Amino acid sequence: MTSREYPALALIALPALATVLLLFAPTSLVQGLARLAALPTAALALTLTVLALHASAEPVIGDWLVVDVAGGLLVGVIGVVGLASVLVSPAYLGAGTDSLVSPERRQRIYYATLYLFWAILLAVPLVGNLGAAWLLVEATTAASALLVGFSGHARALEAGWKYLVLTSLGLGVALLGIVMLAAGIPTAGLGGLSWQALSTYSSGSETALIAYLLLLAGLAAKIGWAPVHNWLPDAHSEAPPPVSALLSAALLPAVLLVAWRSQHALAPVVGEHTAQTVLIVFGLASLTVAVPFLWRSLPWKRLLAYSSLEHMGVIALGIAFGTPLALAGVAIHIVAHAVAKALGFYAATPLLSHDPLAGEHAVTGIGRSKPALGTTMGISLAALAGLPPSPLFVSEVLIVAGGFQAGHPWAASATALLLALGFLGLAHALIETTAGDSPPRRQGSIAGLRGVTALTCVSVVLLLSLVAAAVVLPGSDLVDALVRGLS
Amino acid sequence: MSSALIWTLVGLGLGVLVVRRRSLAVALVTAQALVLVGVALDEAESGGDVLAAGALAVRAIVLAGLFLLLVSRTRAVRPVRARVAPLARAGVAVAFALALTWLVPAIGLVSRDAERGVLALVAFGISTAALRRATLFQIIGIVLVENALALAALQLPGGASVAIELGVALDLILVTVVAVVFYERIFAAFGTADSAALRALRD
Repeated sequence: MTSREYPALALIALPALATVLLLFAPTSLVQGLARLAALPTAALALTLTVLALHASAEPVIGDWLVVDVAGGLLVGVIGVVGLASVLVSPAYLGAGTDSLVSPERRQRIYYATLYLFWAILLAVPLVGNLGAAWLLVEATTAASALLVGFSGHARALEAGWKYLVLTSLGLGVALLGIVMLAAGIPTAGLGGLSWQALSTYSSGSETALIAYLLLLAGLAAKIGWAPVHNWLPDAHSEAPPPVSALLSAALLPAVLLVAWRSQHALAPVVGEHTAQTVLIVFGLASLTVAVPFLWRSLPWKRLLAYSSLEHMGVIALGIAFGTPLALAGVAIHIVAHAVAKALGFYAATPLLSHDPLAGEHAVTGIGRSKPALGTTMGISLAALAGLPPSPLFVSEVLIVAGGFQAGHPWAASATALLLALGFLGLAHALIETTAGDSPPRRQGSIAGLRGVTALTCVSVVLLLSLVAAAVVLPGSDLVDALVRGLS
Repeated sequence: MSSALIWTLVGLGLGVLVVRRRSLAVALVTAQALVLVGVALDEAESGGDVLAAGALAVRAIVLAGLFLLLVSRTRAVRPVRARVAPLARAGVAVAFALALTWLVPAIGLVSRDAERGVLALVAFGISTAALRRATLFQIIGIVLVENALALAALQLPGGASVAIELGVALDLILVTVVAVVFYERIFAAFGTADSAALRALRD
């Protein structure tokens, strides 16, 4: 074992152990234990990120475990968003009493399920095998569906049910693709589905293409790519805000990494151009579907959910273009989207405390009625819109430029046009949310506002640091490692 | 595995799609899973294969128990009407299965009949989830798809990984347990197990 494999295994074991402890700890200790375990988990995740980036030229590649630059970046993102979600959860839990479970078990079940979800998420970028990756992705469905419907409200139950049924069926289709791939790989057993073994598929390119399409179509249902995105706006808008942040900032890109690794491994079999075209179609379809909704007056979390659809589309396009410029853009985009989107979702807890109807209609003038909250929402929305100096502006420019560089001028032009239209929609929402008319609202103390304000300060520093990173990233060894993937 | 057995599995799947009663659908999907257990035991060549067959058996029994418990705890005054009549459902599902068989020329399984059987069962599972309004049938649709994939794993030329088979069985049980929790809460909140009631979230 190398110096990166131990922390990788510890990173999966720590939150899993915390899940068990949370299930059996005395009730009075549950919240403290959850906070206590979150810090070393996030620290370990960031340590692994540093180790993976430092040794970018020598990734750890095994049948069970991989530690590479892409996985390292994702682990850091999941670690930090998970930590923040645990830290803001007391405000969510304190703001209401409704839940799927009895009041005395509410806190325990919430934290145990959140940790289980977090542990599985942390394992997804590190897994060295398509079959095992599928198992983990399917396992996230069970844990996260419980969290989506956690409030027990009728709308949350509907969202959780849709999420469970649609993503399970989608993953069933993906598994059919995996079985087809397994049938055409000479190596039997688990090793046959390792990322490197996938390129040894030898049962003909036509069957490989169908398997690839089934796999991508199934994963698309979990990533939320159009046209199989129906669960996404519902689940993201009805889940508890800390869970919405994990779903959008961590789950979607983690599953997207599985699609990315599959595309990279199978491109030699199905053809580079074909493999890229499938992702371009999903990317442009997602942008096309998302943009009209970004122009509509939607409740805050629902607006953020459609923004996730847009951003997952952008990342798909960046991966498809596959040039160093585009992949530099993808790396920045994944991290910056996570920071900005998680902040936006965390703001939903104080927002709902300030305006209880914000879950059902678009909010306006928050900057007038509660300047601190309006500032947080404004920063999140401005960053997500790609308003300079947002790092998402730089990453989108890199991805579009990468599209031209890759010889996809029509796809790159369409991406630029759709991004511009999406920007206009979100810019309008930004103005209305922060500076629009402010109806009379509840005054006084607001649940979770202090914590969210502190997170806003941290997020601004992170977002500005990412702008600086975006300037130096293209042409670096890290981008070379992303281009090479696990080959 | 004989062709007759494969088409028996397909027939059981079609039965799930057309029957009205939930308990009968549970019986059919469980019978399908138990046939798969028998095939797995019959074709087992190593301790790992027997373990995988055991996991399939545990999966079949646990799911049947959960479903029957659910049926007994959520008795509706009237059964939920499907949005499409039984014959029409069967027609749509068979057409879907034929289209899938035409679109997917070869999977790489040991026989073409096995490939057709797998694709037909996937089509029936998706059709069950899409065409039945009763929420329990949507879960059963997922189980049908997973049974199809278990059949595919059994008919792989070199056999499937035992670790993956155990994982798939565990995942399906987990997803079904969560679905059962949701089902009960939906029944309590909406007073019905009709998925048509779940229409509040629209843009």
